[in-house]
Amino acid sequence: MFTKGMAIYIGQRIVLIAFTVLVVSSVVFLGIHRLPGDALLNEKVKGAAYLALLHHYGLDQPLYVQYENYLVGIVTRGDLGESLVNRGLQIRPLVERELAVSAEVGGLALVFTIGLGIVLGVFAAVRQNTWLDYLLTTTSVVGYSMPNFVIAAFLILVFGVWLGNATQGTFYYQLGAWKGDIGQIWLPAFALGFPYASYVARLTRASMLEVIRQDYVRTARAKGLSEITILVRHALRNALIPVTTILGPLTIGIITGSVVIENVFGIPGLGKEFAQSILNRDYAIVIGVFTMYAGMVGLANLLVDLGYVVLDPRIRY
Amino acid sequence: MATVVASRAVEIEMPEQASLWSDAWRRLRRNRLALVSTIYLVLLVAVALIALVWTPYRMSAIGIAPTYQGITSAHWLGVDSLGRDILSRLMVGTQVSLVVGLGTQVFVLLVGVPIGLAAGYYRGWFDNVVSLVINIFYGIPDVLVAMIMVFLLGPSLTNIIIAIVVTRWMDMARLVRGQALSLREREFIEAGRAAGAKPFKMLFGHILPNALGPIIVQATLGVPGAILFEAFLSFLGVGVQPPTPSWGSMAADGVRAIEFAPHIVIAPSIALSLTLIAFNFLGDGLRDALDPRSRR
Repeated sequence: MFTKGMAIYIGQRIVLIAFTVLVVSSVVFLGIHRLPGDALLNEKVKGAAYLALLHHYGLDQPLYVQYENYLVGIVTRGDLGESLVNRGLQIRPLVERELAVSAEVGGLALVFTIGLGIVLGVFAAVRQNTWLDYLLTTTSVVGYSMPNFVIAAFLILVFGVWLGNATQGTFYYQLGAWKGDIGQIWLPAFALGFPYASYVARLTRASMLEVIRQDYVRTARAKGLSEITILVRHALRNALIPVTTILGPLTIGIITGSVVIENVFGIPGLGKEFAQSILNRDYAIVIGVFTMYAGMVGLANLLVDLGYVVLDPRIRY
Repeated sequence: MATVVASRAVEIEMPEQASLWSDAWRRLRRNRLALVSTIYLVLLVAVALIALVWTPYRMSAIGIAPTYQGITSAHWLGVDSLGRDILSRLMVGTQVSLVVGLGTQVFVLLVGVPIGLAAGYYRGWFDNVVSLVINIFYGIPDVLVAMIMVFLLGPSLTNIIIAIVVTRWMDMARLVRGQALSLREREFIEAGRAAGAKPFKMLFGHILPNALGPIIVQATLGVPGAILFEAFLSFLGVGVQPPTPSWGSMAADGVRAIEFAPHIVIAPSIALSLTLIAFNFLGDGLRDALDPRSRR
């Protein structure tokens, strides 16, 4: 499975990802620095103090020098700079800490999305043209039409307000408490993953319907295998290949969705930081977090493409 | 035409009389979900038009009732955190959503269709460049790029539409390119070329009309995507700016008051969800109606 060609392919892809990240973050960097106005100038900071501040951030240098320093910082030290609003706050450790939080919620959402989507899709396909199938296909349109913040609002309403006495509002995210208690992240993860779960279910149903009509499935049945074995070992494995094609967009969706969901649930993750930095006009964090996101999306797409090889031995790179 | 009886016999008797469009229209009417969705969307457009000239209260008038007041006979959907009438704001918000949803698709068509046609028809280096650019655009997180763009350009309805078009044009371009790739191999295209048709006539007179079905479906399904996109941006505070109401920013206001005034979040959430669901059902219905291969 792992061949020389594949190593070359992975190498090429990583170069392309690095290139994309570089281009995207450069566009954002230059775009932001072309904005009129001055983030540091205000009534409290004047004269020498203001100049010292400019010097501290290197903003007194020509733009190309700033850009060069920024690139050198990223490439050699992985340095994302310092917050413009909270002085002295280094962005890299901040982003790493928040990434861990986001990754947990997002990871759970991803597992949930794929798991629920596949199970519902298989059920709908096996019971094609029954009331269950109609119910699932119709609700899946409703599911992926609903914005995730609407789902989140209704979850908060049900579990936090109407059932407030039962849950004591404990699903609100608390820093430090997250390691042991999954109850605090399953609602955000559900809101994050549900729209995409509907999408996965729809795709799984369609590709299952094609696969279970094929001869090799009939052969498996003729051999007397149990229905579960046929579905899971024989049909599902092939049916999942088309489904994997949307894992890339799905990951992007979960990442962008987390920007909204983390704000609704007050989760101190990367998404919340991104949205708030934009509103606070903290350019340095916006650039840093965005660069991180671009890299993550690139790597996720690469992992998905490598996943095809595992599922379908006919695919080689 | 007499009443069309929905039976196989009638269809077989006069198959040649139904053009693609009348056939598609008949099938769309038979799809109950799509029909209900169409009626809902027509009503929605009517509400948006009515809101141009009349709303129960001025949408930006604050303090016309005690803040956070729930549903009363004077305010059918209650009032929000500044004492503004939610029904009036919901009606004006309809305009924002529809303008963004339909407006982006117009520009996506203007950008995506010519690029896709040219790339698929001419192939060669142009196609390679377009395909590479499309792939790069698919690799970037669209909502985040749009957030940064709106932030750089300034939050206005025009800039939001620009940001959505820039991050989503490639869905259409890819679809049209695929259609053009397969259509260019057909005999009637070869005949057109042999007859000496000009490139413009080939692309827009012969290829485009034959790809219209999928294009219409894609454009319809693109509308809810754009509306959702705008709601996302407004929900996060980087979209439409106050006092203009957007369903997204109204929902964001409501979430802040969810513990004691849930009616504020419920109204825009339901409006938004219903609209997105309706567009998706209509798009699915159009797909079934315009694509004879998927006939059930």
